[in-house]
Amino acid sequence: MAVGKSISLNESQFILRALRESKRLDGRSFSEPREVDLSFGDEFGHAQVKLGQTWVVAKISAEVVKPREDRPFEGGFTINTDISSMASPLFENNRQSDDEVIMSRMIEKAIRRSNSLDLESLCIVAGKKVWNIRADVHVLNYDGGLVDAICIAVIAGLLHFRKPDVSVDGEEVSFHSFEDRNPVPLSILHMPICSTFSFFQVDQSEDANDSNNLPERLDPQVVLVDANAQELILSGGDMTITVNKNRDVCQMLKSGGLRVEAYTILNCVNIAYEFAVKTTKLINDKLKEDHAKRNVGNIDQLLSAENDR
Amino acid sequence: MSHIVLPGDTVDRANLVENDSAPVILGPGMYQDLSNNQYPINAGLINTTKKRSNQLIYVDYNSKRYLPAVNDHVIGIVQGKHSEGFRVSLCEGSAPVQLGEFAFPNASKKNRPNLPNGALVYARVSAAERNIESEIECIDPTTGKDGGFGELKGGFVFDISLAYARKLLFKGGIILEFIGECAPFEIAIGVNGKIWIDAPDVRTIIAVKDCIQGSEHMAPEMVRAFVGETFKSK
Amino acid sequence: MILDADSFLEKCIYSPEGLRADGRRWNELRQFKCQINTHANSSDGSSYVEQGYSKVVCIVNGPKEPDGRSHTFLDKACISVEVNIASFSTVDRKKVVRNNKRVQELNTTIQRTLEEAVLSHLYPRTQIDISIQVLQQDGGLLPTCVNAATLALIDAGIPMVDYVSACSAGIYDTTPLLDLNTMEENDLAFLTVGVIGKSDSLALLMMETRMSMDNLEPVMAIAIAGSHSIRDIMDREVRRHGKQRLAKKGNM
Repeated sequence: MAVGKSISLNESQFILRALRESKRLDGRSFSEPREVDLSFGDEFGHAQVKLGQTWVVAKISAEVVKPREDRPFEGGFTINTDISSMASPLFENNRQSDDEVIMSRMIEKAIRRSNSLDLESLCIVAGKKVWNIRADVHVLNYDGGLVDAICIAVIAGLLHFRKPDVSVDGEEVSFHSFEDRNPVPLSILHMPICSTFSFFQVDQSEDANDSNNLPERLDPQVVLVDANAQELILSGGDMTITVNKNRDVCQMLKSGGLRVEAYTILNCVNIAYEFAVKTTKLINDKLKEDHAKRNVGNIDQLLSAENDR
Repeated sequence: MSHIVLPGDTVDRANLVENDSAPVILGPGMYQDLSNNQYPINAGLINTTKKRSNQLIYVDYNSKRYLPAVNDHVIGIVQGKHSEGFRVSLCEGSAPVQLGEFAFPNASKKNRPNLPNGALVYARVSAAERNIESEIECIDPTTGKDGGFGELKGGFVFDISLAYARKLLFKGGIILEFIGECAPFEIAIGVNGKIWIDAPDVRTIIAVKDCIQGSEHMAPEMVRAFVGETFKSK
Repeated sequence: MILDADSFLEKCIYSPEGLRADGRRWNELRQFKCQINTHANSSDGSSYVEQGYSKVVCIVNGPKEPDGRSHTFLDKACISVEVNIASFSTVDRKKVVRNNKRVQELNTTIQRTLEEAVLSHLYPRTQIDISIQVLQQDGGLLPTCVNAATLALIDAGIPMVDYVSACSAGIYDTTPLLDLNTMEENDLAFLTVGVIGKSDSLALLMMETRMSMDNLEPVMAIAIAGSHSIRDIMDREVRRHGKQRLAKKGNM
């Protein structure tokens, strides 16, 4: 990842030396992801995620389109990720590097192909009108963990989003404004959460002489969870695992880089699962908080078309 | 006495300068147009100092991109080698500067300095012309000795804002003294916003880095407690 | 009607007797055929690999003068991979858009996997071109391409630490199935692994479909075992080819 940034020898040697002593520069332990800071905007479907210095904004929008001919019952869902040089000088405008292509494919697989958004629920009139949901992601600052942050932002945005209520009378379709009728949430089937792992070959040569504390250091490979940009430059390879809290792995990608033992990978999956459970809870809590803020005076109940029986 | 000015503000010379008759030199952040109007072109604190019989007016402003100026002490990363010397980066994304191979003490055709790519050097800017590449040198021109310049080995380097780097270098922020009370360490400050530190162990280096980075916008009376806490938590 | 056909297929994937639609058992590879030095005149190294009905030709040129600055690294060779999928390779004759994201991802993935095995630091300031032509697709596109590229690199005489071999495996209910074909790939959750030599450590791991965490271990284990057998088959072919060449030399 992130080739081209000039990093001095002193920096890289120091970071590796710190890793040998089981230390990370920001004081985290190896398997500790950064705190996720999630917030919602004023409009529906506007989510902001900060993961350390990484800062991502997602906005969900919906429009009515004609469905694809081969799938008349399904709505559309597209994810647009905009990684410009605003995020970091590492990214060029108007040109996608290999890393960016892999990144956008990963997000696509994690959210779209894992069917986290129920596309059939987006159908209004079969073969004529369906909702097309669009997620626009902007990366405002880059400090590693980009896929993780984007994934959380899109999922939180989808859960937060409301589309206008629709009533169908034969061929006639009418849309109700938000004041008229309570807007409807999307149907989200599960919440995939990504975790990125970075692998380091920690060279033992420098302190090969002190064999006193060898037992601790038998495994020369170090696995870092949620590495920041500096660590990513030095890493020998990374792997992204997407898991939801139902213990489903939605996507996994390790393209090249250091060879990693299969059991290490299984360990990583468990760590990713823990992070997914924690983050799912965080998203749900934040959504509840946001809902309480909007639902002043219990408007929901007033606008609801349902009878309480 | 300094106060905040914004680009285009009018500067009341009488207020700033004690002796109105002394010639005035405009420093960084000040500009004089064709009709002899002087005004600030950067947002920051306006300052005056006396330099011999002249009055110097300049604006102390913060920025992130470093532009080379003669006699600045800087820290650079060696990016490549060519026939006449090294290409050194002073600031991420800016044009590299030249470090001639004879710009070292005792360097000769036979005794060439050898710096690997990625090495750090502490150097002085020796030439900064508008239209040609800037040059730096690892030599004190008055004595011909190293004068503290040269390759920085080991340790760790990190970036801070330019104004903070100047403050640490020229006003010798109290923070450095407080850190010194907690642990011995070595430091080199480049006005290009790079700071190099070294200490015997990793823990101290990380603590020193956190102290320096964390206290930029801190009130002086809080700094001491902050340093103590940072060291304790490591 | 449609429902019936679906349930029929479902049964076919893995019958209660333990047979798959094409008659294999759960841990059987498809027929793996390979040849090296197939295009001796037009390339430095070449190979042809068949995994069941997936057929791929790979051609390696290099180490050679790099194609300009962006392909020049001072400390290692630049490996560039280009996969070309023929429009007649699948049942539906779709026009394959060049440089679509899926192919780009495939290129990068293969390239990074090979970089781990090739000792590219021995050839600084050079470029190694790997072009892969997919003739027929029947599942396991990525593993077939990786295997073909390994053989072609060996034929080109480029130093590598060991063979890179890749294989896919999926899960049906609780039974892991090795080396899936298209039909199985469409219906099952599966993953692809790539190993270097006969180790348990993975250089490549790709999973695009949802699979339960608890099934991961058996699937990964069988995929690794499959990659090891593929490595053996490839090794046999390389040795056979080597012997043949030696015999010819002896006759002269």
